[in-house]
Amino acid sequence: MELTKKSTHLKLGKAKHQVNWTVTAILVVLAICFILAPIYMTVVIALKDPSDMVNVLSWPKHIRWENFAEAWKMTDFPLKFRNTLFITVVNVIFTIITNSLAAYAITRNRKRSKLFNLLYYYFISAMFIPFNVLMLPLVKQASAFHMDNVLGITVLYIIFGLPMNTFLYSGFIKGIPTALEEAAIIDGANSWQVFFKVIFPIMKPMHATVAILSFMWTWNDFLMPLVLLSDPNQQTLQLAQYVFQGQFSTQYNLAFASYLLVLLPILIIYVFFQKWIISGVTSGAVK
Amino acid sequence: MKITGKKINPAFYLMTIPIAILFFIFHTLPFLKGVFYSFTDWQGYGNWNFVGLKNYLYVFTDPDVTGSYIFTFKFAIAATILVNVLSLLLAMGLNSKIKFQNTLKSIYFLPYMLGTLIIGFVFNFIFANLVPQFGKTFGISALSTNILGTDHAWIGILIVTIWQSLAFNTLIYLAGLQTVDHEIYEAAEMDGVGTIKKFFKITFPLIAPFFTINMVLSVKGFLMAFDQIMAMTGGGPGNLTTTISVLIYKRGFQGGQFAVQSANAVVLFLVVVIISIIQLRVLEKREEKLN
Amino acid sequence: MRKFSKQLSCLLAILLFVASLAGCGSSSSSGKEKIEVFSTKNAENTEILQSMATEFEKTHKNVNVEIVSPSDAGTVLKTRLTKGNLPDVLAMGGDATFMELQKAGTLEDLSKKSYVNSVQPAYKKMVTSISKGSGLYGVPYATNASGVLYNKTLFKKAGVKVPQTWDQFIAAMQKLKKAGIQPLELTFKDSWTTLPIWNGLAGSLQSKDFTTQRLKNKTTFAKTHQEIAQKYLQILNYAQPDFMGTTYNDGNKAFALGKAAMLLNGNYVIPELKKTNKKIDVDMFPLPASNDAAQNRITSGVDVLLAVSKSSANKEAAEQFISFMMKKSNAQKYVDDQFAFSAIKGVEQQDASVSGIRNNIADGHVVNFPDHYYPAGFDLASLLSNLSLNAENGMTTNKNVTQFLKKADTSYNTANVQN
Repeated sequence: MELTKKSTHLKLGKAKHQVNWTVTAILVVLAICFILAPIYMTVVIALKDPSDMVNVLSWPKHIRWENFAEAWKMTDFPLKFRNTLFITVVNVIFTIITNSLAAYAITRNRKRSKLFNLLYYYFISAMFIPFNVLMLPLVKQASAFHMDNVLGITVLYIIFGLPMNTFLYSGFIKGIPTALEEAAIIDGANSWQVFFKVIFPIMKPMHATVAILSFMWTWNDFLMPLVLLSDPNQQTLQLAQYVFQGQFSTQYNLAFASYLLVLLPILIIYVFFQKWIISGVTSGAVK
Repeated sequence: MKITGKKINPAFYLMTIPIAILFFIFHTLPFLKGVFYSFTDWQGYGNWNFVGLKNYLYVFTDPDVTGSYIFTFKFAIAATILVNVLSLLLAMGLNSKIKFQNTLKSIYFLPYMLGTLIIGFVFNFIFANLVPQFGKTFGISALSTNILGTDHAWIGILIVTIWQSLAFNTLIYLAGLQTVDHEIYEAAEMDGVGTIKKFFKITFPLIAPFFTINMVLSVKGFLMAFDQIMAMTGGGPGNLTTTISVLIYKRGFQGGQFAVQSANAVVLFLVVVIISIIQLRVLEKREEKLN
Repeated sequence: MRKFSKQLSCLLAILLFVASLAGCGSSSSSGKEKIEVFSTKNAENTEILQSMATEFEKTHKNVNVEIVSPSDAGTVLKTRLTKGNLPDVLAMGGDATFMELQKAGTLEDLSKKSYVNSVQPAYKKMVTSISKGSGLYGVPYATNASGVLYNKTLFKKAGVKVPQTWDQFIAAMQKLKKAGIQPLELTFKDSWTTLPIWNGLAGSLQSKDFTTQRLKNKTTFAKTHQEIAQKYLQILNYAQPDFMGTTYNDGNKAFALGKAAMLLNGNYVIPELKKTNKKIDVDMFPLPASNDAAQNRITSGVDVLLAVSKSSANKEAAEQFISFMMKKSNAQKYVDDQFAFSAIKGVEQQDASVSGIRNNIADGHVVNFPDHYYPAGFDLASLLSNLSLNAENGMTTNKNVTQFLKKADTSYNTANVQN
């Protein structure tokens, strides 16, 4: 009895290892039709001459690189790119440092201090407040504080990420045994040294998740720049696309070249870091 | 100074208090101000008076506002259901024994990386130019008009939303499916359990926590839909695709409506809180059951 | 994970380096006075404003002029009003948004400036009539005309003459249809393009005191605007099939390529048309809303006025730029480029593309845009878009009109809360 069960088990196991070609075919076709086709279209239109638009999806008769040059100049791409990059990078770095620090202090002291416990619930409950709810007063307040610029919005991003990141970090820190810290304290380290020398390096996987989520958020955000950044010199890439949408008029080739310019950096990052991005996003949600 | 002792090292206060104060100033304070304004007739500038609940009464009686709530809910429910069903199917497909598994996974996750605004612009072109061209060539009248200019404009927006949201939800389900032990299936197969029964009796209960995560995250995201609508319809035709977020943005900065839209924002906040609490209750119950 | 952390820190280091370069790059201010000129005309006049700015900078070396014209400029401007951060110079229409800015006390009184003397009094009045107080807070610069743009070649081909009355207008559209020519190209995907039609009809058909009476709540749309709404719906029957889904840009392009005979919009479309098709033979006539030809007037209002923000840090430079724009030669350049009309005495529009309405404008046979007098929060465009959509879906005209007018009244009342 025992034996027969084992043998059928083995057989089934073998069958399992065979490639399911039907499902593969369906998934490949769907990926081509629905995910890759729109991207292909974007690329093709961006490369075409306006006269070549009769059959939109055909490969360009000759490639018109000037589309990119014109879109580059028209939307003032380098400036907008620098703004976006500044916001994104500074946000990621400071978010990782400040938010993990706060989350660490809160998590380690929650059990013995009412204040820290209160702070924990304060930040977590703030997750329920959507941005739209505080948008109107925030716009007034931010401009009163002269924060309606690249630097100001970066600070706001760092602060606004706090609820989510406290939640993420805190879950991770709970799993780190306090023995490590105590050992470091015995060796004469103070709290800051304990954090930066012991805890901070251990939290690397969570840093990766937080970095990826913050990066995606700030790079693709549209609403906050829309209401805060009115000075054209301060605008981000996403906002610039919206602002210039009307000026592209029916010059679709220029418009799509401009879209592609915005999408390219993120596509390049994705190609190189996809594994890490996917695992980072997963652990951010599932943790 | 032990980590478990009673006395708290002052360094811990330094790590938290400054950023907590900043958080209060730039997050909590605007929120409280918004609540305050919602009881006034402030225009965003100039003088103001307390008007009690007048703005809230207005919010509940103005057809534009109620219309946008109905639309937002309709949209959020449809998007949640469709996204979750489709992404679960997709995840099961990706989890089966297939070739190019990793490549396919990366391709299906790609839309998550791209900004909603630009995706909206790209699909705007597809709906306005490509689909009608296709419809006319093949004589399909349903496809020969721009869907964004019809009663069904919201379906166009739904398609774009699904296109982008599938990526994230699929990823979460995939993570869930990978925790399921294959031997359980094999045992079930030996007992002659059918595919559908297998899904509902085995797979679904095991990935239920992942289902909850997706529900919590998607509903909240869809209730806030903004970027794709600004990119595609601007809330039109008429007011048909105006979500609450779009309404707050478009009307909130107009003098007469600053206070009214503040009230609207407070209502939106309550809606989000209530939905989240219900979802968390359900989540807790399920976890109790599982343990 | 090890490998990843290495990669991540590597990437971060690179990004940090680039960002620090970016930081340096963006902070390179040259000590020049910067003025921001904000145009609400979207893309239409950016090029000409830009060229004027370049010209101006040549003689004013210490000033840097920046032209800004975002999509959805009205909302952007209101956001900035809320923030208390208005652009230095505003080039905007004499409309409800201007009214709101002016009432909020954010604009400079320019009535004492020397360049104001050259402005035609009739247009000054259009601005003062919607302002609070007695000053002139926006200097009229260019005026527009809204009515019917028609393709002369197609009219000739179908043997259609310029209609003078409503009946002739309908007959003309039927004749065009019979000749196999699409009579109208409507572009309602951009809902603001419903307004020129409404303005054309209401301008000629509504009673003169409607605006003031409505403001005081002594009359309603439901009582007075039946005919206007019905005629509006009648026009839709002659539009191309997908008019609800056609964008302004696509529709203009189609018209420029001769795919339709008429466009119901303003002279500001002409530059766009010429961009697509240089040779297009286009002209304008007033929308013949009434059967009494004498009643049919062209809708004309202040399309661009120039205003200075009170909060501007560089008021002097801002006014210098306005003064520069107001020079006769520059005003001429502007109207030539825009196929617009000038608010400045002695600057005339000679182009054939608007010859059909030149006399109306010269004789003052014009009516201001009715929607310039509506309160700022009254979103008529979305109501009209809804009216059109219902018609498309086969709702009966009576039901549709009644519903629309009722909705217009409630929306108007809720928007009309400001003191």
